[in-house]
Amino acid sequence: MTPSADNAVLVAGVGMTPFVGFRNDASVRDMVAEATRAAFIDAGLGSSSTIDMGVAAYESDHFNRQMSLGQVLSDTVGLTGKPVIRVEGGGATGALAIRTALMAIRSGEARSVLVFGGETNGRSVDRSTAIELLSMSADFEWETPVFGTFAAPYALMITEHMRRYGTTAEQFAEIAVKNRRMALDNPLAHRGMSITVEDVRSSAPLSDPYRLFDASLLSDGAAAVLLATGDWAERHSPTSSDRPPVAILGSGSATDRPRLSDRPEQMFPHFAAKREASTRAYREAGIDDPPGQIDLAEVYDSFSGAELQAYEDLGLCPVGDGGQAAAEGRFDQGGQVVVNPSGGLMGRGSAVGATGIAQAVEVVSQLRGEVTAARQVPGARIGITDTHAGVGSLSVVNVFGMVG
Amino acid sequence: MRVTGTEWVVGPDGRAVYLLGVEMAQRYRHAVGSSSPFYEGLERGVLRSTRCRECGASWFPPRRFCEAHLTETDWYDLPGTGTVTAATRVHSPPPFGGIDPPYILASIRLDGVTGGITHRVMGAETPEHGAAVVVKFIDEAPAHPLLAFAFTVEGVTP
Ligand SMILES: [Zn+2]
Repeated sequence: MTPSADNAVLVAGVGMTPFVGFRNDASVRDMVAEATRAAFIDAGLGSSSTIDMGVAAYESDHFNRQMSLGQVLSDTVGLTGKPVIRVEGGGATGALAIRTALMAIRSGEARSVLVFGGETNGRSVDRSTAIELLSMSADFEWETPVFGTFAAPYALMITEHMRRYGTTAEQFAEIAVKNRRMALDNPLAHRGMSITVEDVRSSAPLSDPYRLFDASLLSDGAAAVLLATGDWAERHSPTSSDRPPVAILGSGSATDRPRLSDRPEQMFPHFAAKREASTRAYREAGIDDPPGQIDLAEVYDSFSGAELQAYEDLGLCPVGDGGQAAAEGRFDQGGQVVVNPSGGLMGRGSAVGATGIAQAVEVVSQLRGEVTAARQVPGARIGITDTHAGVGSLSVVNVFGMVG
Repeated sequence: MRVTGTEWVVGPDGRAVYLLGVEMAQRYRHAVGSSSPFYEGLERGVLRSTRCRECGASWFPPRRFCEAHLTETDWYDLPGTGTVTAATRVHSPPPFGGIDPPYILASIRLDGVTGGITHRVMGAETPEHGAAVVVKFIDEAPAHPLLAFAFTVEGVTP
């Protein structure tokens, strides 16, 4: 099932800044302005006057040093006077903002919505402060006092996955290698690297079995997308008629218990909310054979093993088969589904409020055939984004595809 | 808040850009609220949780109201035993301090209640899935009240 451009919610423009370790020349509002300007140019807009509303995506007042940042960012991108909604959903913040904009257009409340997100998770915050702030992503009353690192709950999940299914540390190290290699072909990536499984396994231990190279990056960055009805795009976005339109085919979201240890034991090594979110998103998009129909996926690789678990929970491979799939390169460039051609959180990096939007920028650019040749997924027609908060307390899956 | 210093540095395009050093220290009086009886339990060496007065369902961590019915709950003592689902050796200290790394952290199903806790297991060995553990009160002046206790693997002297 492919929706026609008449009733679809289209992606009229996309833009993002490079993700870097520290933008000493830009505030979060500067970065959001840069990303939005890129999206405006992409959509061929001369001004923001025809945009109905904004959705601001950022996770942390602490990292960004600004409360009520939604209005500040809205003002920065020229939307003063228009309504704006600030959205927060942990690691899923950016994707949840896109989903919120989609709902606003579907409801008839708006015909065009600018989604913009940014975060300064990089080195503007010193390491001990960053660790302290990130520790608040766990349950402050029951988990934070005993969690020496956020790697710990992920390590507990993958340890049980290894016991049940025979998954190995070398298998998820392959993902850490793949995503850093993919990032070498992305000029906007924070840090591409050419490393080996041995390099991953010999890097500094965080929480067994996870090591430093199993973890993702903390970045400064921003991203923006402009969503609109086909009618609005035809009237106001002159570039929209020059290229095949990309639409949001489906979106799903679900929650799980925020604490790992009071989830049902059967689901302990799995992301239940991710299964539910992807099931709902696929149903909307008419996807009944995910690995057969999806060409590329931007997946939330906060830790290497989390990507392996996501293969299963997103239905890209059978449950328990994620380790084998990683070892075979089933989701590498040239594989059945190309996962994280941008480099993912490990290579492109992660500026939390921008991350889910940057994933959408990659997927839309891939579908249009506009990325660097080395990372282009040939003939891609359907791509998904996957993000979650905490260790899967909230999950959002958005499906993008060509229409017409 | 205070400004700790200012500096001009070279930006990525070679132009000079300005940085402000800012320091903020937040202090809170954090109300644990409806969980207060849990901390009362810690002071007399027991783990406690809550049970729905209407349907009898119980959970760990404790809840103000039954999650199914939003009805009143009552406190009761747990036996303090449980079973390990998974464990990991952690190589950095927790944010409130109080434990020198490396230390063992485990996801533990608690007996006598639905649910469990992620908490410290004493000793240097990482316990296997299915290991039986028992709570042990170890510190009268912990860095955080939750670190007043840890678990030990039954039959193993830490
Ligand atoms: Zn009840």
